[in-house]
Parts: sequence; structure tokens; C-alpha cells
Amino acid sequence: MSEDLDIPVAIAPKRRPRNRPASPAMRGERSFLRSTGVGLLWIIVAVSIIMLGWMVMQAFRDTRSILGDPWGLPETIDFGNFVRAWTVGDFAQATWNSAVTTIVSSVLTVAIAAPCAYYLGRVENRFTRSISLYFILGLGIPAQVILIPLFVMLNQVYLTDSLLGLNLVYIGVSMPFTVFLLTAFFRSLPLEMEEAAALDGTTAVGTFFRITLPLAKGGILTAFVLQVISHWNETLLSLTLMQSTEKYTLPVALISFVQQQTYSGADWGGLFAGLVIVVMPMLVIYIWLGRRLTEGLTLGMGK
Amino acid sequence: MTLTPTKDQTGVSARSSRSTSRKLNRAEGSSIERQRRKLLIPFVGPAFLFYTLLFVLPAAGAMWISLHRWSGAGPMKFVGLDNYFLVFRDELFLKAFGNTLLLLFVVGIAIFVIAFGLCLILRDMVGKKIARSVIFFPHLINALVFGVLAGFIFNPGGLVNTLLKPFGVTDPPKWLAQDNLFPLIMVTLICTTTGYFTTILMAGVDRIPPYYYEDCALAGATPFQRLRYVVLPLTWDVFGTCAVLWTISSIKIFEVVWVFGGSSGAGIPPTQSWTTAVYTYVTAFSAQSTPAYGAATASAIISLALISVLVVILRRAMRRDAVEF
Repeated sequence: MSEDLDIPVAIAPKRRPRNRPASPAMRGERSFLRSTGVGLLWIIVAVSIIMLGWMVMQAFRDTRSILGDPWGLPETIDFGNFVRAWTVGDFAQATWNSAVTTIVSSVLTVAIAAPCAYYLGRVENRFTRSISLYFILGLGIPAQVILIPLFVMLNQVYLTDSLLGLNLVYIGVSMPFTVFLLTAFFRSLPLEMEEAAALDGTTAVGTFFRITLPLAKGGILTAFVLQVISHWNETLLSLTLMQSTEKYTLPVALISFVQQQTYSGADWGGLFAGLVIVVMPMLVIYIWLGRRLTEGLTLGMGK
Repeated sequence: MTLTPTKDQTGVSARSSRSTSRKLNRAEGSSIERQRRKLLIPFVGPAFLFYTLLFVLPAAGAMWISLHRWSGAGPMKFVGLDNYFLVFRDELFLKAFGNTLLLLFVVGIAIFVIAFGLCLILRDMVGKKIARSVIFFPHLINALVFGVLAGFIFNPGGLVNTLLKPFGVTDPPKWLAQDNLFPLIMVTLICTTTGYFTTILMAGVDRIPPYYYEDCALAGATPFQRLRYVVLPLTWDVFGTCAVLWTISSIKIFEVVWVFGGSSGAGIPPTQSWTTAVYTYVTAFSAQSTPAYGAATASAIISLALISVLVVILRRAMRRDAVEF
């Protein structure tokens, strides 16, 4: 019987090579349903990749040939669409605005949230627990709730239509998630090193900066990149707060580019170029740090 | 008699030495902790301030504004709960609210069923890492991109129609007619969101030790029994978290609706495809009518209430004794 064979495998599951169909006892389940599922899954994967590649390809073709043959490939590498999007669609300014806002607000978000998360993770009493809860409540509040009051408030201090205002808003709005993520992360770090440092006479501040932060590099990088992604893609707040073209962030510029087309006729070439400008940084980040991101986004999910 | 004092002495000395050592220990521990506690203001203060000023205060302000009739400029007129009654009599809002519920439940259930199915397939598939990375990626893309792309895909001369042509479909349906937009939005959302939830569920399914499956195989469990008695109970908590996440994120859906299928000319999407987030934005900031900040915030508060109720219900319903394994 084949069952006899897989008992040692069951005892020492580590010996089994990874990503290999499991032990003989489970080999019988290659059912029809399952292989259809696997086939479907690979089709989904292939379609996703093809769509992405297709979008990039179309960005190098002009509108007429795109409409003529949507499945065609570019004959030459022509950056005309990008040039047009860059100049006519004001994407240059918008990309710059988005890049600066994203980097500045993400750095500051993490810089402000990390000490707070450290404190909440290390000092446990009723007071810090209620502060943690106070932060977590923010996770459930959708942006449209704070949209109008925020607009009114910022308008009174002349921070609407200002990148400074947008940065401040992004930092405030990102606090709940970042504090939540980093608190869980700091809790998972071992306490011993900090105790040793304290015994050697390091102050609490010194311990945080010289021991904990270097240990927490990975978690902090994850939090930072997650903020980069969410700030780069943020649309609703930026659409509300930014009014003049030279202050637009990339998503808002893309929306206004789409809306111009109702009047000036569809410029699909330029539009595809715009989409590629929005998507590419995310693809680069994902290829660079993919595993870390999925781990960060699924961290603490079982709690 | 002679024994007791010595006993006492030893007892006292032992106790005192123990207590001094404990005191030392505690002094040591508390000196770190006391120092750390002093950091409350510098460490927690800035985050607390930013969060309170730019998030909690506006949220409280929203409650306040929703009780007034106000066009953004001029005086605010207190009208009590009138805005809420007004909004619930507004056909546009009811349509938007219905759409939001459709997203929440229909799209939500579709996503979960598909994601769970994908998980079961992915679990021991060859090349699962690649497949998993690819289906996760759409989560990182701005939903605007999908809205614009859908506009091209379902365009009269777009991808779908050119694909259908070889099959003899010469008169394809008008995909982007106003009434068809919302179903298409729902399909788009299912396609682009499922991967994210699959990844999260996978994290739960991956925790199940492989010998459970082997035990099932040895005991002769059918795949359905295995699903019912092993996989589901052990991933239940992850399911609960995912349900909460989807509830919160589905109420925010805005971007994909805003540009879906290109703009309709007026700069706002046709009312058939509105969600409550779109309703809030248009009511407050569209240039076409006088802004009604009260009604707009009232609709936002209603969405918030919906989230809170659902999250509480979900937490109640999904609460089980955690299975330790």
C-alpha cells in the first residue's frame, strides 16, 4: 500500500522538496475539477501579464493605429505620446508634484509614526491601550467623511490648493495604519538588546535610536513603501484640495486629461502614456520589494 | 524557644535579601521604564497631534456640518436631522446607496468565493509564487487606471468587440451605455480586487501544517469534507479580517467609478453608476448646483454608520474560539 510509504514523509515533512505535489497518499486527488482550476488560474495570470504588456505597447503607438488595430504592436519605439502627455497634458508638473508629495509625506509619516508606535508597543498600561484603540478607530473611517470639513478647515488657513497642505493631510490620514503596523512590528522585536543597552547606561532615547531603529530597519522600510504606494495613488483628497493645474498630482492630472478628451477628441495614445507613467513606479517597487510588501500587507491579519 | 528567633532571623534575612534583590531588579527595570514613560510627549505627541487635527477633528466636524444647511460660504443654519431625511428622500442618493450595497455584498461575495477557490488551487500548485505575485499586483495600481482601460476595452472599436468579431458577433451590445456601466464596474472590481484577498487568505491557508492534509487523505476524507472540517475552521479568523477589510474599502470606492468608460462630458459620471462616495463628492464640489455641504456630509456619515454596524455584526458573527495549531 502506498500509505505505508508516506508515514516517514509525514513525520519529517521538511525533507519533502518545496513546491512539489505532496506525498503519494495525496497524489490521487488530481481531479478534473482541480486541473481545470489550475488551467483557469494560469489563464488569469497570463491575461494579467498580457494586459500590462499591451498597455505599455499601446503607449508607443499613435491614436489612429491603436483604434485601427487594438491588438497591433508598435512599429517603432516612438516616444511621441509621452512627449505629448508630458507637455500638453501637464504630466511633467503633475509627476513632479506627485513624486515630491509622495516622498516627503511618506518619510514624515514614518518618522512621526515610528516613535509613537515604539512607545505604544513597549509601554503597556491602560492609558497606552486606549491610545492604541484611538488610533485603530481611524482605520474604519472612509476618506469621504473627512473630505468636506478638511476642505473647510484648510481653506481658512490658506492650505487648500497647496502642496504643503496636501502633505500635512496625507501625514494625518496615514497615522492610523502606520502606527498600527509599526506597533505590531515593534512588539515582535526582542526586548533583550534594549535591556542590555539600558544596563550599559544608554538612555531610553538613545536605546530607541541606536538599538531599536537599526533592528527595525526592515519593518520601517515596509511601512515607508506602503505609504509611498498609497500616497502615489491617492485620488479623492487630492482631487478635492488641489484646484490649479500646476498643483495637480498625477491622478488628478489623469482625470483632467480624460475629461479634456470629451471636447478635444480621444487621444488614446497620450492616455496610455499617462497610464504607463502612473503604473510604472509601482511595478518597479513591486519587482524590487514584492515579498516584503505582501508580507507587510498581510501582517497581523490573524489578529 | 531558641529555634524561633533564629528561624525568624533567617526568615527575615532571607526575605530582606530577596526583597532587596527584587527592589534592585525593580529599580533597574523601572528606571528603564520610567525613562521610557517620560517619552510620552515627544514620542506619541506629534503622531497624536497630526492624527487628531487632520483626521479626528474633521470627522467630528462632519457630524456637526451634517446637522446644518450650508453651502460652504455664508451662515450655517441648524436644521437638526433634516439633512438625513432629505438625503433618504433623494432618488440619487438611494440609487448611490443601493449601488454601494451591491458592491459591498454581491461583489464582496463573488470576491470571497473566487479568492477561496484560488487559494485551494494555489496551495500546492507548481509555480505558486509566480502566480501569487502576479495576481497581487493590481492592488498596487490606482483604480483610475482600470476605469480608463475599461473605457478602451469596451469601446465600440475596442478589444472586446474585435475579439467577438471572429465569432460572428457583428452587432455587439453597447457596453458603455449608461445602464450597463455599473454591472461592468462590478465585474472590473471583481477582476482587480480578488488577487489581493487571495494573497491574504493564502497567508492563512499556508499556516495549516501539511500533515493535516495527509491525515485527511489517510482517513479517506473527500475534498469537500477536508474543506469543511480542516481548511475552513483553521482559516476562519483570516476570513473575518478580510470581510472587515472589504467592508471598509468597498465603501470608499470612488476612482474607478469616476472615470469609468471615459467621461460623460459633464465631468461627472452618469447617475446610474454613482456610489455614496461619488454622491458625497458631487453634492459638495460639483460646479453644477449650489453645494449642499450638509447633505453631502450626511451621506458620508451614513456610510460611516453602515461600516460601523457591519463591522460590529461581522465581529460578532465571525467570533469563534480560536483553533490553536
